[in-house]
Amino acid sequence: MVARRTGSLLLALLLLLAVLTASAADARRRPPTTSVGVAAREFRFSAYRTSAPGGIVRFNVANFGEDGHDLVVETAGGRRVGRTGEVRSGRRATLALRLRPGTYRLVCDLADHAARGMRTSFRVTR
Amino acid sequence: MSATAARRRHGRRRAHARRPSGGRGWTEAHVRRLFWRAGFGATPAEARRWARRGKAATLDHVVNGPPGGARVRGPAPRVEQRPLDPLNEWGDDVLWWLDRMIRSTHPLQEKLTLFWHDHFATADQDTPLMLAQNRMLRANALGSFRELLGAVTRDPAMQLFLSLADSTKDAPNENYARELMELFTLGSGYSERDVREAARALTGYTADWHDDGTVTIKYDAGQHDDGVKTLLGRRGRLGVDDVLDLVTAHPNHAPFLVGKLWSFFVATPPSRATLRALVATYRGSGLRIEPVVRQILAHPQLYRGLDAPDMVKCPVVFLAGAMRTTGTYVTQDYPTWLLELMGQLPFSPPSVAGWDWGAAWMSSNAMRQRFVAGNHVVQYGRPRPRKGAAPASLTPQEAYARAWRAVGEPRVSAATRATLTHLAARFFDDIDARWRDQADWRADALQWTLRHLLLTCPDAQLH
Ligand SMILES: [Cu+2]
Repeated sequence: MVARRTGSLLLALLLLLAVLTASAADARRRPPTTSVGVAAREFRFSAYRTSAPGGIVRFNVANFGEDGHDLVVETAGGRRVGRTGEVRSGRRATLALRLRPGTYRLVCDLADHAARGMRTSFRVTR
Repeated sequence: MSATAARRRHGRRRAHARRPSGGRGWTEAHVRRLFWRAGFGATPAEARRWARRGKAATLDHVVNGPPGGARVRGPAPRVEQRPLDPLNEWGDDVLWWLDRMIRSTHPLQEKLTLFWHDHFATADQDTPLMLAQNRMLRANALGSFRELLGAVTRDPAMQLFLSLADSTKDAPNENYARELMELFTLGSGYSERDVREAARALTGYTADWHDDGTVTIKYDAGQHDDGVKTLLGRRGRLGVDDVLDLVTAHPNHAPFLVGKLWSFFVATPPSRATLRALVATYRGSGLRIEPVVRQILAHPQLYRGLDAPDMVKCPVVFLAGAMRTTGTYVTQDYPTWLLELMGQLPFSPPSVAGWDWGAAWMSSNAMRQRFVAGNHVVQYGRPRPRKGAAPASLTPQEAYARAWRAVGEPRVSAATRATLTHLAARFFDDIDARWRDQADWRADALQWTLRHLLLTCPDAQLH
């Protein structure tokens, strides 16, 4: 009885150790996350960081304007990678994307906002 | 050191410790009052040390900060292991400033930065601009008001918030001119016409935006109205600095600003003689803030009712103080969302008039959130009880004393102490008497409860 209890305790400890080791390895393998503050207003985007290392890039978008805006991330070739959806005046939204190295465009695709100035570029480095 | 010398030295130190204060009634209670009003509370070591040093030395230390300027000490802030990113991560701007309040060696500088943030309240601007404004307020916190006012007038976040940028001679915007007189310098004693004329004199600034969210404010003489204006009785081709000189030279300015500073530190209004003396100090120093603040902090009225404080801690002071006095550092993001729920999120004042102070902080929901905040400080901070550290065999008085020491030996009224000791005495009532000495798990729960209550009880809301 006592021996069996000791045995199962040992087993539990080993399992715990396995879990801990696995999560440490996971943390090492997980791509780095970089946050990018983005402000939207009529008719301009400000990105508080103009580049990030490859991995997860989290765009924290705040709309300081009076109209609604959104944030669309496109590749240089125009392929859409992600979109926040419309962010109303005074609101915030987050868009987390896994991005490979390269140059991207940040645009607002509501009405003619991009043409009026709501576009900027963003670089993802190695 | 020889044994005799060691003994002699030990004896001297004991004699020193027995002396109640640095003389003339300067006690630990005085130090705690001063450190709360001028900063974010005193640790037990600070209270003992500065009670020994006396009032004058303590005031010098509090007002001037350490020689060589303010520093931060202790572990750098982190949120779940990552360093702060105040520009890009929401709420990290708040944590960055809160950390300074907790770790700065010159807390008065942070306290006055908070005062100016409320006085020149600005919101809804890009994070880089808000952080730059915060640095500007800190750099000018104790200096010349006229210089501070000049820096605020040219500050990008303020210029954009009150539409001073791009206010032109053809379309002068009156927002800044109006708040300049109503909220920043005078309160009264000016007319609508003065507002219009000041707005004309303040035209000419333009904002130059950069892609990274920073803004350069430029002055374009071509957009400035260089015509003749009449402002507060003065006629001429007045410009920006003329406006700032005129409002600060107005007879209402000194009493207005000095009175507001007083009410930041003392709950009851100053006597007429006190106000007169403060105004004289302010004017005599060439509108410097530091001598006025020093005079307020030295005033006997600040030390009234040491056993019955009458100022409500604002949420920032409540939380920064609980963390600073218990040796708790920023390791989680709870301060940001709790400050918002408690009603005072830095960088987001409700309007240009700042926050409502005093009893307005104590709405039932805000008080509930203070309770939650206290729980987080116990859970993630230094007061967290170690398992089995306070055995069930302690007397109620011992259990209480252990909790009190763990939360930085705060001032507690006799009534609260009696209530909490009573709670400790009855905490094991539902457990059979034969098992009580083994109920260490329950003793741990008692420590959590006592520490949480000490951090959030009515006494902890006042300073
Ligand atoms: Cu848009």
